[in-house]
Amino acid sequence: MSVARTATLLVKDLRLGPRSPLVLWALIIPVLITLLIRGVFGGLFDIQPRLGIVDQGASEVAAAALALDSIEVTLLDDPAALRDQVEADDLDAGLILPPGFDEAVRAGERPDLELFVGGESFASTRILVVVTTLDLIRGVEGRSPPVDVEVVTVGEEPIPFDLRMLPLIVTMAVALAGVMIPAASLIEEKEAGTILALLVTPTRVGEVLAAKGLLGVILATTAGTITLAINRVLAYSPAVLLVSVFLGAIMMAQVGLLLGSWARDTNTMFAAWKGGGLVLFYPVVFFVWPDLPTWPARFGPTYYFLSPVHEATLAAATLADVWLDLLIAGAICVALLPATVVVGRRMEGRVRRRRAVETLQDELDEAPQEQPVA
Amino acid sequence: MGPALVAEGIGYDYDGTLAVDDVSFDLARGEVLGFLGPNGAGKSTTIKLLTGQLEPRSGRISVLGMDMPRQRGEIQARIGVCFEEKNVYPSLTGRENLAFFARLFGLHDVDLDELLARVGLEERGRDRVNRYSKGMRQRLMVARTLLNEPDVLFLDEPTDGLDPVSARTIRQLIRAEADRGAAVLLTTHDMYEADQLSDRVAFIDRGKVLALDPPEELKLAHGTRSVRVRVRTGEQIEEHVLPLDGDGGAAELQALVEAGNVLTIHTEEATLEDVFVAFAGRGLT
Repeated sequence: MSVARTATLLVKDLRLGPRSPLVLWALIIPVLITLLIRGVFGGLFDIQPRLGIVDQGASEVAAAALALDSIEVTLLDDPAALRDQVEADDLDAGLILPPGFDEAVRAGERPDLELFVGGESFASTRILVVVTTLDLIRGVEGRSPPVDVEVVTVGEEPIPFDLRMLPLIVTMAVALAGVMIPAASLIEEKEAGTILALLVTPTRVGEVLAAKGLLGVILATTAGTITLAINRVLAYSPAVLLVSVFLGAIMMAQVGLLLGSWARDTNTMFAAWKGGGLVLFYPVVFFVWPDLPTWPARFGPTYYFLSPVHEATLAAATLADVWLDLLIAGAICVALLPATVVVGRRMEGRVRRRRAVETLQDELDEAPQEQPVA
Repeated sequence: MGPALVAEGIGYDYDGTLAVDDVSFDLARGEVLGFLGPNGAGKSTTIKLLTGQLEPRSGRISVLGMDMPRQRGEIQARIGVCFEEKNVYPSLTGRENLAFFARLFGLHDVDLDELLARVGLEERGRDRVNRYSKGMRQRLMVARTLLNEPDVLFLDEPTDGLDPVSARTIRQLIRAEADRGAAVLLTTHDMYEADQLSDRVAFIDRGKVLALDPPEELKLAHGTRSVRVRVRTGEQIEEHVLPLDGDGGAAELQALVEAGNVLTIHTEEATLEDVFVAFAGRGLT
């Protein structure tokens, strides 16, 4: 096997990549889905109370509220406008701090405080806003709270929605680029007959498969890494995430070579993808709905690179924490190698023979009939 | 120096349907051998066997003194194959196609501009192939075949369906390659092409080689020479075809000439198609 020829084939495929709609599709789709999930569902699952304040006397309460991370605070000038925005559900609550409010509190008076609460706001949001406001006023008063509150979390903390969806997006990125691009590229060579032109040069079928596989690994790793980056999780545990995506890319590229070697044409490839894709994608279900028992997910090969990604983004897992899953993912890649070689070799024979039969059949259909010899 | 190619008793079948049946021949360096036969005769299958695309069920193939398919890689580095189907990369330019295949042969100093000029594509080398006509694609494929200055050229119907200008360009190239010393195996069902280009012609039908000789010898040995004479008889014009071989023809011709009413006389040689029909019992097309 020649490294130089493999590199030549790879460079050609990389050069053809930007001219192929499939490559662009495979790279763009995960980005679009990420943006869609963040744009549509991000706000729904990531609620922050929205408090509007009209500060008529330079109150410390307003300054302290602005410094809070847990509440989104907006300062307004007009009490009527504040009320309108609360009514319109643009704000969950509105607070009007009258002139001399801080001084009155410090003097032990009990000044009136107007707090509007939106009718459409969640009850939990209202409670949070009221308690926080009271806490801020106590700060102005200079008194400590009458009790110390110990917060005890009961039950498991829910996993943020975007982190639950991440394995799905990573699978799409790695599988689309890793499986579809090598498979489609191989089938395109078969359909156009260019693979025959390659195989009458010193090029061997193993070099063609290696180049297509590398193409899949490079593009799948790139797509997976971009997906992690735009989901802002790459910094959590970069070593685990990059190793996982790389192993996933190798695994998917081999699946792509198997599919491309086996499928006779593009239609067959897409039909197989629709059915066989379930095997690759079903472990994702167990990350999206973590309450389901996870053992069935372990029968899916993609589980072994998705689980480390999930652990890394959720709990900043290190390589030492997820080594077993990564080892199994690596073992699956090694196990797929001989299958890829065997199926690739069978493809070479099939393609040559099928082409020859088709040519002969076409020629026989056009052949002249027997005629009497003059 | 031995022949560039030797085939001894090679055979191949597709699931029991015999495509190549005990075919034997050899090909010298600098020689053009035309495989002439109708569609489905076994010409393309024979080329696939000789170039290592298929493995023969029986017989032996030697190319440049090496055994095919055992030494396929070494042989393929020194041969050029032009397919009947236009299998070039449509999304690459003509020049990119050639550069890519040159690198597969390990060649980095091929003058691609010169090669493109040889096939008349010097102005279109930087255009993508999907903008090429059928004839331009065929010429590009011939240029690709010549990249490694092959010792043996296999050309499968290289002018099939081409316009006369493209066909003439390719025929000139084939002749030039033979003059350079390359052995050329050409398949065609065009008797004029086989006649013009080939030093020897092999008639192939139903997988068998029926005859193998220089075209002139085939025509002389198996064809019939004749004279076509047009004569005015009163208001009518009559046409007589008189055989030049055998008895009677010469005397009848003399009688017509002496009668003084001859309008035209044309000698007619047998064509390769006539000879082929005599062998195969059917025509080429």
